[in-house]
Amino acid sequence: MLLKVVQYILNLGPTVILPLTITIMGVCFKLGFKKSFKSGITIGVGFVGINLVIGLLTSNLGAATSMMVTRYGLHLSILDVGWPAAAAISWASPIAAIMIPIAMLVNVVLLFLKFTNVVDIDIWNYWHFTAAGATVLVLTNGNWGLAILAAIIYEIAVLKIADWTAPMVEDFFGLEGVSLPTGSTAACGLIGIPVAKVVGMIPGIKNLKADPESIQKRFGVFGEPMMMGLVLGVLIGFLAGYDIGKCIQLGIIMAGVMFLMPRMVKILMEGLIPISEGVREFLQKTNFGKDRKLTIGLDAAVAVGHPAVIATALVLVPITLFLAVILPGNKVLPFGDLTTICFYVAFIVGSTKGNIIHSVISGTVVMALALLMATNIAGFHTEIAKMAQFAMPKGTTMISSLDLGGNFLNWIIVKVFQLFTGGFIF
Amino acid sequence: MNKQKVILVACGTGIATSTVVCKKVEDLIKANNINARVIQCKISEVPGYEDEADLLVTTTIASRAYKIPVIKAINYLTNINTQKVDQAIIDALKD
Repeated sequence: MLLKVVQYILNLGPTVILPLTITIMGVCFKLGFKKSFKSGITIGVGFVGINLVIGLLTSNLGAATSMMVTRYGLHLSILDVGWPAAAAISWASPIAAIMIPIAMLVNVVLLFLKFTNVVDIDIWNYWHFTAAGATVLVLTNGNWGLAILAAIIYEIAVLKIADWTAPMVEDFFGLEGVSLPTGSTAACGLIGIPVAKVVGMIPGIKNLKADPESIQKRFGVFGEPMMMGLVLGVLIGFLAGYDIGKCIQLGIIMAGVMFLMPRMVKILMEGLIPISEGVREFLQKTNFGKDRKLTIGLDAAVAVGHPAVIATALVLVPITLFLAVILPGNKVLPFGDLTTICFYVAFIVGSTKGNIIHSVISGTVVMALALLMATNIAGFHTEIAKMAQFAMPKGTTMISSLDLGGNFLNWIIVKVFQLFTGGFIF
Repeated sequence: MNKQKVILVACGTGIATSTVVCKKVEDLIKANNINARVIQCKISEVPGYEDEADLLVTTTIASRAYKIPVIKAINYLTNINTQKVDQAIIDALKD
Protein backbone atom coordinates (compact mmCIF):
# COMPACT_ATOMS: atom_id res chain seq x y z
CA MET A 1 0.00 0.00 0.00
CA LEU A 2 2.81 2.39 0.96
CA LEU A 3 4.66 1.44 -2.20
CA LYS A 4 1.59 2.39 -4.24
CA VAL A 5 1.45 5.81 -2.61
CA VAL A 6 5.15 6.45 -3.18
CA GLN A 7 4.85 5.31 -6.79
CA TYR A 8 1.86 7.58 -7.30
CA ILE A 9 3.77 10.57 -5.95
CA LEU A 10 6.85 9.77 -8.03
CA ASN A 11 4.71 9.61 -11.15
CA LEU A 12 3.40 13.10 -10.56
CA GLY A 13 6.76 14.35 -11.70
CA PRO A 14 9.24 16.96 -10.61
CA THR A 15 6.75 19.80 -10.53
CA VAL A 16 5.23 18.10 -7.52
CA ILE A 17 8.07 16.06 -6.04
CA LEU A 18 10.64 18.78 -5.70
CA PRO A 19 8.32 21.32 -4.05
CA LEU A 20 7.19 18.58 -1.69
CA THR A 21 10.74 17.59 -0.80
CA ILE A 22 11.88 21.17 -0.37
CA THR A 23 8.98 21.88 1.92
CA ILE A 24 9.86 18.89 4.07
CA MET A 25 13.54 19.82 4.05
CA GLY A 26 12.75 23.38 5.02
CA VAL A 27 10.76 22.18 7.98
CA CYS A 28 13.63 19.87 8.97
CA PHE A 29 15.98 22.84 8.91
CA LYS A 30 13.57 24.64 11.22
CA LEU A 31 12.55 27.26 8.65
CA GLY A 32 8.88 27.03 9.52
CA PHE A 33 6.13 25.49 7.45
CA LYS A 34 4.88 28.65 5.73
CA LYS A 35 8.33 29.68 4.51
CA SER A 36 9.20 26.14 3.41
CA PHE A 37 5.90 25.76 1.61
CA LYS A 38 6.39 29.05 -0.23
CA SER A 39 9.88 27.92 -1.27
CA GLY A 40 8.48 24.67 -2.53
CA ILE A 41 5.79 26.33 -4.61
CA THR A 42 8.25 28.84 -5.98
CA ILE A 43 10.40 25.98 -7.23
CA GLY A 44 7.39 24.36 -8.86
CA VAL A 45 6.59 27.62 -10.61
CA GLY A 46 10.19 27.88 -11.74
CA PHE A 47 9.83 24.52 -13.44
CA VAL A 48 6.63 25.57 -15.14
CA GLY A 49 8.40 28.64 -16.50
CA ILE A 50 11.43 26.73 -17.71
CA ASN A 51 9.24 24.17 -19.39
CA LEU A 52 7.54 26.96 -21.31
CA VAL A 53 10.80 28.38 -22.58
CA ILE A 54 12.35 25.04 -23.48
CA GLY A 55 9.22 24.27 -25.47
CA LEU A 56 9.60 27.57 -27.29
CA LEU A 57 13.23 26.82 -28.06
CA THR A 58 12.88 23.25 -29.25
CA SER A 59 9.78 23.79 -31.33
CA ASN A 60 11.03 26.90 -33.12
CA LEU A 61 14.73 26.31 -33.42
CA GLY A 62 14.27 22.58 -33.87
CA ALA A 63 12.13 23.10 -36.95
CA ALA A 64 14.64 25.52 -38.43
CA THR A 65 17.68 23.37 -37.77
CA SER A 66 16.11 20.33 -39.37
CA MET A 67 15.45 22.46 -42.48
CA MET A 68 19.08 23.55 -42.31
CA VAL A 69 20.20 19.95 -42.20
CA THR A 70 18.01 19.03 -45.16
CA ARG A 71 19.17 21.95 -47.27
CA TYR A 72 22.87 22.06 -46.52
CA GLY A 73 23.65 18.75 -44.96
CA LEU A 74 24.91 20.84 -42.05
CA HIS A 75 24.60 18.25 -39.37
CA LEU A 76 24.00 20.59 -36.50
CA SER A 77 20.90 18.77 -35.42
CA ILE A 78 21.50 18.66 -31.67
CA LEU A 79 20.34 21.76 -29.85
CA ASP A 80 22.46 23.16 -27.06
CA VAL A 81 19.77 24.19 -24.61
CA GLY A 82 22.17 25.84 -22.21
CA TRP A 83 22.93 25.48 -18.52
CA PRO A 84 19.65 26.93 -17.26
CA ALA A 85 17.76 24.10 -18.92
CA ALA A 86 20.42 21.53 -17.98
CA ALA A 87 20.23 22.66 -14.36
CA ALA A 88 16.45 22.51 -14.36
CA ILE A 89 16.54 19.05 -15.91
CA SER A 90 18.93 17.92 -13.20
CA TRP A 91 16.83 19.40 -10.42
CA ALA A 92 13.86 17.57 -11.92
CA SER A 93 15.61 14.22 -11.78
CA PRO A 94 14.16 11.73 -9.30
CA ILE A 95 17.45 11.66 -7.43
CA ALA A 96 17.76 15.44 -7.13
CA ALA A 97 15.95 15.88 -3.86
CA ILE A 98 17.84 13.17 -2.07
CA MET A 99 21.14 14.42 -3.44
CA ILE A 100 20.94 17.58 -1.34
CA PRO A 101 21.37 15.81 1.99
CA ILE A 102 23.68 13.18 0.48
CA ALA A 103 26.01 15.72 -1.10
CA MET A 104 26.05 17.67 2.13
CA LEU A 105 26.86 14.54 4.10
CA VAL A 106 29.67 13.61 1.71
CA ASN A 107 31.17 17.07 2.10
CA VAL A 108 30.94 16.87 5.90
CA VAL A 109 32.55 13.43 5.96
CA LEU A 110 35.37 14.53 3.65
CA LEU A 111 35.94 17.59 5.80
CA PHE A 112 36.21 15.49 8.94
CA LEU A 113 38.56 13.11 7.15
CA LYS A 114 40.64 16.13 6.12
CA PHE A 115 40.33 14.92 2.54
CA THR A 116 39.13 18.34 1.45
CA ASN A 117 39.20 21.87 2.79
CA VAL A 118 36.19 23.09 0.86
CA VAL A 119 33.00 23.93 2.71
CA ASP A 120 30.63 23.82 -0.25
CA ILE A 121 27.66 26.02 0.55
CA ASP A 122 26.71 26.46 -3.09
CA ILE A 123 23.60 24.29 -2.97
CA TRP A 124 22.39 25.54 -6.30
CA ASN A 125 25.38 23.99 -8.04
CA TYR A 126 24.76 20.59 -6.48
CA TRP A 127 22.88 20.15 -9.74
CA HIS A 128 26.16 19.28 -11.46
CA PHE A 129 26.59 16.29 -9.13
CA THR A 130 22.95 15.33 -9.64
CA ALA A 131 23.40 15.58 -13.42
CA ALA A 132 26.14 12.98 -13.38
CA GLY A 133 23.88 10.78 -11.29
CA ALA A 134 20.88 11.35 -13.55
CA THR A 135 22.90 10.40 -16.63
CA VAL A 136 23.99 7.15 -15.00
CA LEU A 137 20.41 6.56 -13.86
CA VAL A 138 19.40 6.50 -17.51
CA LEU A 139 22.42 4.40 -18.45
CA THR A 140 21.64 1.74 -15.87
CA ASN A 141 17.91 1.90 -16.52
CA GLY A 142 16.99 3.17 -13.08
CA ASN A 143 19.67 1.89 -10.72
CA TRP A 144 19.53 4.50 -7.92
CA GLY A 145 22.50 3.02 -6.11
CA LEU A 146 24.85 3.40 -9.07
CA ALA A 147 23.42 6.79 -9.94
CA ILE A 148 24.07 8.15 -6.48
CA LEU A 149 27.53 6.60 -6.53
CA ALA A 150 28.24 8.43 -9.80
CA ALA A 151 27.05 11.70 -8.30
CA ILE A 152 29.27 11.23 -5.26
CA ILE A 153 32.32 10.47 -7.41
CA TYR A 154 31.64 13.63 -9.40
CA GLU A 155 31.33 15.65 -6.20
CA ILE A 156 34.61 14.34 -4.82
CA ALA A 157 36.36 15.21 -8.09
CA VAL A 158 34.96 18.74 -8.07
CA LEU A 159 35.90 19.32 -4.44
CA LYS A 160 39.46 18.18 -5.10
CA ILE A 161 39.77 20.43 -8.15
CA ALA A 162 38.42 23.28 -6.05
CA ASP A 163 41.09 22.56 -3.42
CA TRP A 164 43.77 22.46 -6.11
CA THR A 165 42.69 25.78 -7.64
CA ALA A 166 41.99 27.58 -4.37
CA PRO A 167 45.41 29.27 -4.25
CA MET A 168 44.77 30.63 -7.75
CA VAL A 169 41.34 31.88 -6.70
CA GLU A 170 42.98 33.78 -3.87
CA ASP A 171 46.01 35.09 -5.77
CA PHE A 172 44.67 35.83 -9.22
CA PHE A 173 41.04 36.57 -8.47
CA GLY A 174 41.67 38.19 -5.12
CA LEU A 175 39.01 36.12 -3.36
CA GLU A 176 40.39 35.25 0.03
CA GLY A 177 39.23 32.11 1.73
CA VAL A 178 37.09 31.18 -1.24
CA SER A 179 37.11 28.18 -3.56
CA LEU A 180 34.99 27.44 -6.62
CA PRO A 181 33.48 23.94 -6.58
CA THR A 182 31.35 24.57 -9.64
CA GLY A 183 31.04 21.53 -11.90
CA SER A 184 31.55 23.01 -15.35
CA THR A 185 34.31 25.37 -14.26
CA ALA A 186 36.15 22.51 -12.58
CA ALA A 187 35.76 20.07 -15.47
CA CYS A 188 37.00 22.55 -18.08
CA GLY A 189 39.78 23.64 -15.76
CA LEU A 190 40.95 20.05 -15.43
CA ILE A 191 41.62 19.85 -19.15
CA GLY A 192 42.27 23.50 -19.88
CA ILE A 193 44.92 24.23 -17.28
CA PRO A 194 47.43 21.62 -18.53
CA VAL A 195 46.70 22.65 -22.15
CA ALA A 196 47.35 26.28 -21.29
CA LYS A 197 50.60 25.28 -19.67
CA VAL A 198 51.73 23.55 -22.83
CA VAL A 199 50.63 26.50 -24.96
CA GLY A 200 52.65 28.77 -22.72
CA MET A 201 55.76 26.81 -23.57
CA ILE A 202 55.46 27.01 -27.36
CA PRO A 203 58.11 29.35 -28.69
CA GLY A 204 56.65 32.30 -30.54
CA ILE A 205 53.24 32.02 -28.89
CA LYS A 206 54.48 32.12 -25.37
CA ASN A 207 55.23 35.81 -25.49
CA LEU A 208 51.99 37.01 -27.07
CA LYS A 209 49.62 39.17 -25.05
CA ALA A 210 46.38 41.02 -25.63
CA ASP A 211 44.51 43.84 -23.99
CA PRO A 212 41.18 43.03 -22.29
CA GLU A 213 39.71 46.51 -22.61
CA SER A 214 39.94 46.75 -26.39
CA ILE A 215 38.69 43.19 -26.79
CA GLN A 216 35.67 43.94 -24.63
CA LYS A 217 34.93 46.95 -26.78
CA ARG A 218 35.15 45.12 -30.07
CA PHE A 219 33.62 41.81 -29.09
CA GLY A 220 31.22 43.16 -26.49
CA VAL A 221 28.11 42.25 -28.42
CA PHE A 222 28.92 38.55 -28.11
CA GLY A 223 28.28 38.87 -24.39
CA GLU A 224 24.73 40.09 -24.75
CA PRO A 225 22.31 37.15 -24.70
CA MET A 226 19.43 38.94 -26.42
CA MET A 227 21.58 40.14 -29.29
CA MET A 228 23.20 36.74 -29.69
CA GLY A 229 19.79 35.10 -29.79
CA LEU A 230 18.54 37.58 -32.37
CA VAL A 231 21.55 37.27 -34.65
CA LEU A 232 21.72 33.49 -34.42
CA GLY A 233 17.98 33.15 -34.90
CA VAL A 234 18.01 35.28 -38.05
CA LEU A 235 21.10 33.49 -39.37
CA ILE A 236 19.64 30.05 -38.81
CA GLY A 237 16.33 31.13 -40.31
CA PHE A 238 18.23 32.29 -43.38
CA LEU A 239 20.08 28.99 -43.62
CA ALA A 240 16.79 27.18 -43.22
CA GLY A 241 15.43 28.97 -46.25
CA TYR A 242 12.90 31.11 -44.44
CA ASP A 243 11.72 34.36 -46.01
CA ILE A 244 12.99 37.56 -44.44
CA GLY A 245 9.89 38.03 -42.31
CA LYS A 246 10.09 34.59 -40.81
CA CYS A 247 13.81 35.01 -40.21
CA ILE A 248 13.18 38.09 -38.13
CA GLN A 249 10.39 36.33 -36.28
CA LEU A 250 12.70 33.46 -35.42
CA GLY A 251 15.35 35.95 -34.36
CA ILE A 252 13.07 37.68 -31.92
CA ILE A 253 11.78 34.40 -30.54
CA MET A 254 15.35 33.22 -29.97
CA ALA A 255 16.27 36.54 -28.38
CA GLY A 256 13.30 35.92 -26.13
CA VAL A 257 14.51 32.43 -25.26
CA MET A 258 18.00 33.68 -24.38
CA PHE A 259 16.56 36.38 -22.18
CA LEU A 260 13.68 34.52 -20.58
CA MET A 261 15.37 31.22 -19.78
CA PRO A 262 17.70 32.64 -17.12
CA ARG A 263 14.77 34.58 -15.67
CA MET A 264 12.83 31.37 -15.15
CA VAL A 265 15.83 29.71 -13.57
CA LYS A 266 16.03 32.69 -11.22
CA ILE A 267 12.58 31.77 -9.93
CA LEU A 268 13.79 28.26 -9.24
CA MET A 269 16.82 29.59 -7.42
CA GLU A 270 14.77 31.91 -5.28
CA GLY A 271 12.85 28.92 -4.04
CA LEU A 272 16.10 27.21 -3.13
CA ILE A 273 17.62 30.12 -1.22
CA PRO A 274 16.08 29.47 2.22
CA ILE A 275 17.26 25.85 2.10
CA SER A 276 20.73 26.85 1.03
CA GLU A 277 20.95 29.35 3.85
CA GLY A 278 19.92 26.59 6.23
CA VAL A 279 22.67 24.33 4.94
CA ARG A 280 25.21 27.11 5.13
CA GLU A 281 24.33 27.88 8.75
CA PHE A 282 24.74 24.24 9.62
CA LEU A 283 28.07 23.86 7.83
CA GLN A 284 29.51 27.03 9.23
CA LYS A 285 28.57 26.14 12.78
CA THR A 286 30.18 22.72 12.64
CA ASN A 287 33.71 22.53 13.92
CA PHE A 288 35.93 20.60 11.57
CA GLY A 289 39.10 20.84 13.54
CA LYS A 290 41.52 23.52 14.58
CA ASP A 291 43.95 25.40 12.37
CA ARG A 292 42.33 24.27 9.18
CA LYS A 293 42.71 26.49 6.17
CA LEU A 294 39.11 25.99 5.17
CA THR A 295 37.74 27.69 2.09
CA ILE A 296 34.12 28.55 1.44
CA GLY A 297 32.87 26.99 -1.77
CA LEU A 298 30.97 29.53 -3.88
CA ASP A 299 29.47 29.70 -7.33
CA ALA A 300 32.13 30.45 -9.93
CA ALA A 301 29.98 33.41 -10.93
CA VAL A 302 31.97 35.40 -8.39
CA ALA A 303 35.08 35.13 -10.55
CA VAL A 304 33.77 35.54 -14.07
CA GLY A 305 33.60 39.32 -13.85
CA HIS A 306 37.36 39.52 -14.26
CA PRO A 307 38.17 41.46 -17.44
CA ALA A 308 40.53 38.79 -18.76
CA VAL A 309 37.87 36.11 -18.27
CA ILE A 310 35.22 38.17 -20.02
CA ALA A 311 37.54 39.06 -22.89
CA THR A 312 38.59 35.44 -23.39
CA ALA A 313 34.98 34.29 -23.29
CA LEU A 314 33.87 36.91 -25.81
CA VAL A 315 36.51 35.93 -28.35
CA LEU A 316 35.61 32.26 -27.91
CA VAL A 317 31.99 32.80 -28.94
CA PRO A 318 32.60 33.14 -32.68
CA ILE A 319 35.39 30.57 -32.41
CA THR A 320 33.04 28.02 -30.86
CA LEU A 321 30.44 28.64 -33.56
CA PHE A 322 33.11 28.18 -36.20
CA LEU A 323 34.34 24.98 -34.54
CA ALA A 324 30.79 23.65 -34.45
CA VAL A 325 30.58 23.95 -38.21
CA ILE A 326 33.98 22.61 -39.21
CA LEU A 327 34.65 20.01 -36.54
CA PRO A 328 34.18 16.54 -37.97
CA GLY A 329 31.95 14.49 -35.74
CA ASN A 330 30.25 17.43 -34.10
CA LYS A 331 26.48 17.62 -34.32
CA VAL A 332 25.78 20.18 -31.63
CA LEU A 333 24.54 23.65 -32.51
CA PRO A 334 25.96 25.88 -29.78
CA PHE A 335 23.29 28.22 -28.57
CA GLY A 336 22.19 28.31 -24.95
CA ASP A 337 25.69 28.02 -23.53
CA LEU A 338 27.50 30.55 -25.73
CA THR A 339 27.22 33.15 -23.02
CA THR A 340 28.32 30.64 -20.37
CA ILE A 341 31.81 30.25 -21.84
CA CYS A 342 33.16 32.61 -19.18
CA PHE A 343 32.56 29.85 -16.61
CA TYR A 344 34.46 27.30 -18.65
CA VAL A 345 37.53 29.47 -19.05
CA ALA A 346 37.70 30.97 -15.56
CA PHE A 347 40.31 28.55 -14.23
CA ILE A 348 42.21 28.57 -17.51
CA VAL A 349 42.54 32.35 -17.41
CA GLY A 350 43.61 32.18 -13.79
CA SER A 351 46.29 29.64 -14.59
CA THR A 352 47.74 31.79 -17.39
CA LYS A 353 47.67 34.78 -15.03
CA GLY A 354 45.32 36.65 -17.32
CA ASN A 355 47.06 35.98 -20.61
CA ILE A 356 44.18 36.19 -23.04
CA ILE A 357 45.99 34.75 -26.07
CA HIS A 358 47.05 31.60 -24.24
CA SER A 359 43.63 31.29 -22.65
CA VAL A 360 41.86 31.58 -26.00
CA ILE A 361 44.07 28.91 -27.56
CA SER A 362 43.54 26.57 -24.64
CA GLY A 363 39.85 27.49 -24.60
CA THR A 364 39.54 26.56 -28.26
CA VAL A 365 40.85 23.07 -27.51
CA VAL A 366 38.50 22.73 -24.54
CA MET A 367 35.47 23.93 -26.52
CA ALA A 368 36.28 21.54 -29.38
CA LEU A 369 36.36 18.65 -26.92
CA ALA A 370 33.20 19.93 -25.25
CA LEU A 371 31.37 19.93 -28.57
CA LEU A 372 32.43 16.37 -29.30
CA MET A 373 31.52 15.14 -25.81
CA ALA A 374 28.19 16.95 -25.96
CA THR A 375 27.49 15.22 -29.26
CA ASN A 376 28.54 11.88 -27.83
CA ILE A 377 26.19 11.89 -24.84
CA ALA A 378 23.30 13.78 -26.41
CA GLY A 379 21.27 10.60 -26.27
CA PHE A 380 21.50 10.49 -22.48
CA HIS A 381 20.96 14.22 -22.19
CA THR A 382 17.73 13.97 -24.16
CA GLU A 383 16.57 11.01 -22.09
CA ILE A 384 17.01 12.79 -18.79
CA ALA A 385 15.13 15.75 -20.23
CA LYS A 386 12.29 13.42 -21.12
CA MET A 387 12.41 11.95 -17.62
CA ALA A 388 12.08 15.47 -16.31
CA GLN A 389 8.86 15.62 -18.26
CA PHE A 390 10.01 18.59 -20.24
CA ALA A 391 8.11 19.30 -23.40
CA MET A 392 10.02 17.64 -26.22
CA PRO A 393 8.44 18.03 -29.63
CA LYS A 394 7.52 14.87 -31.47
CA GLY A 395 10.15 13.79 -33.89
CA THR A 396 13.85 13.41 -33.65
CA THR A 397 15.07 16.56 -31.94
CA MET A 398 17.92 15.71 -29.66
CA ILE A 399 19.19 18.14 -27.10
CA SER A 400 22.44 18.57 -25.28
CA SER A 401 24.38 21.35 -23.62
CA LEU A 402 27.97 22.50 -23.42
CA ASP A 403 27.63 22.74 -19.68
CA LEU A 404 26.37 19.25 -18.90
CA GLY A 405 26.97 17.40 -22.15
CA GLY A 406 30.35 18.97 -22.77
CA ASN A 407 31.43 18.38 -19.22
CA PHE A 408 34.53 16.20 -19.06
CA LEU A 409 33.90 14.84 -15.56
CA ASN A 410 30.33 13.91 -16.42
CA TRP A 411 31.44 12.33 -19.68
CA ILE A 412 34.23 10.24 -18.22
CA ILE A 413 32.05 9.01 -15.36
CA VAL A 414 29.40 7.91 -17.84
CA LYS A 415 32.00 6.17 -19.99
CA VAL A 416 33.48 4.32 -17.02
CA PHE A 417 30.06 3.17 -15.86
CA GLN A 418 29.24 2.16 -19.42
CA LEU A 419 32.32 -0.03 -19.41
CA PHE A 420 31.31 -1.70 -16.18
CA THR A 421 27.66 -2.17 -16.90
CA GLY A 422 27.97 -2.84 -20.60
CA GLY A 423 25.07 -0.47 -21.12
CA PHE A 424 25.79 0.70 -24.61
CA ILE A 425 22.24 1.78 -25.30
CA PHE A 426 23.18 4.98 -27.04
CA MET B 1 10.98 64.48 -2.39
CA ASN B 2 14.42 63.32 -3.35
CA LYS B 3 14.97 61.30 -6.50
CA GLN B 4 14.78 57.53 -6.21
CA LYS B 5 18.23 56.01 -6.23
CA VAL B 6 19.02 53.18 -8.57
CA ILE B 7 21.16 50.31 -7.33
CA LEU B 8 22.64 47.82 -9.77
CA VAL B 9 23.20 44.35 -8.40
CA ALA B 10 25.45 42.40 -10.72
CA CYS B 11 27.07 39.02 -10.78
CA GLY B 12 28.56 36.72 -13.37
CA THR B 13 25.31 35.39 -14.76
CA GLY B 14 22.76 37.86 -13.51
CA ILE B 15 20.90 34.94 -12.00
CA ALA B 16 22.87 33.05 -9.42
CA THR B 17 24.63 34.99 -6.73
CA SER B 18 22.98 38.28 -7.62
CA THR B 19 19.57 36.87 -6.65
CA VAL B 20 20.80 36.27 -3.11
CA VAL B 21 22.33 39.73 -2.91
CA CYS B 22 19.31 41.40 -4.49
CA LYS B 23 17.11 40.13 -1.70
CA LYS B 24 19.54 41.31 0.94
CA VAL B 25 19.78 44.77 -0.62
CA GLU B 26 16.02 45.06 -0.97
CA ASP B 27 15.53 44.07 2.66
CA LEU B 28 18.21 46.55 3.65
CA ILE B 29 16.67 49.53 1.89
CA LYS B 30 13.25 48.65 3.23
CA ALA B 31 14.51 48.35 6.79
CA ASN B 32 16.30 51.68 6.53
CA ASN B 33 13.52 53.49 4.68
CA ILE B 34 15.75 54.41 1.79
CA ASN B 35 14.13 55.57 -1.42
CA ALA B 36 15.80 53.28 -3.93
CA ARG B 37 15.15 50.49 -6.36
CA VAL B 38 17.24 47.58 -7.51
CA ILE B 39 18.13 46.42 -11.02
CA GLN B 40 19.60 42.95 -11.29
CA CYS B 41 21.95 42.18 -14.16
CA LYS B 42 25.10 40.48 -15.41
CA ILE B 43 28.42 42.20 -14.90
CA SER B 44 28.82 42.51 -18.67
CA GLU B 45 25.54 44.44 -18.86
CA VAL B 46 26.59 47.13 -16.38
CA PRO B 47 27.94 49.58 -19.01
CA GLY B 48 24.42 49.71 -20.43
CA TYR B 49 22.94 50.76 -17.07
CA GLU B 50 25.78 52.91 -15.76
CA ASP B 51 24.28 56.25 -16.68
CA GLU B 52 21.03 55.78 -14.84
CA ALA B 53 22.45 54.12 -11.74
CA ASP B 54 23.84 55.55 -8.53
CA LEU B 55 25.58 52.52 -7.10
CA LEU B 56 26.91 49.14 -8.17
CA VAL B 57 26.81 46.24 -5.76
CA THR B 58 28.55 43.21 -7.16
CA THR B 59 29.49 39.69 -6.11
CA THR B 60 31.99 39.31 -8.87
CA ILE B 61 35.04 41.20 -9.95
CA ALA B 62 34.39 44.62 -11.43
CA SER B 63 35.90 44.54 -14.88
CA ARG B 64 36.92 48.18 -14.89
CA ALA B 65 36.42 51.48 -13.12
CA TYR B 66 32.83 52.65 -13.44
CA LYS B 67 31.25 56.11 -13.24
CA ILE B 68 29.45 55.00 -10.10
CA PRO B 69 30.82 53.75 -6.77
CA VAL B 70 31.29 49.98 -6.53
CA ILE B 71 30.68 47.88 -3.44
CA LYS B 72 31.87 44.29 -3.22
CA ALA B 73 29.14 42.11 -1.81
CA ILE B 74 30.92 38.79 -1.57
CA ASN B 75 30.50 38.87 2.21
CA TYR B 76 26.77 38.40 1.66
CA LEU B 77 27.57 35.03 0.15
CA THR B 78 30.09 33.86 2.71
CA ASN B 79 27.97 35.36 5.49
CA ILE B 80 31.09 36.72 7.16
CA ASN B 81 30.97 40.34 8.35
CA THR B 82 27.82 41.26 6.46
CA GLN B 83 27.31 44.40 8.50
CA LYS B 84 30.34 45.88 6.78
CA VAL B 85 28.60 45.63 3.42
CA ASP B 86 25.28 46.83 4.87
CA GLN B 87 26.95 49.94 6.20
CA ALA B 88 28.87 50.61 3.00
CA ILE B 89 25.65 50.51 0.99
CA ILE B 90 23.77 52.76 3.39
CA ASP B 91 26.62 55.26 3.39
CA ALA B 92 26.87 55.26 -0.40
CA LEU B 93 23.18 56.06 -0.74
CA LYS B 94 23.17 58.83 1.83
CA ASP B 95 23.97 61.85 -0.32
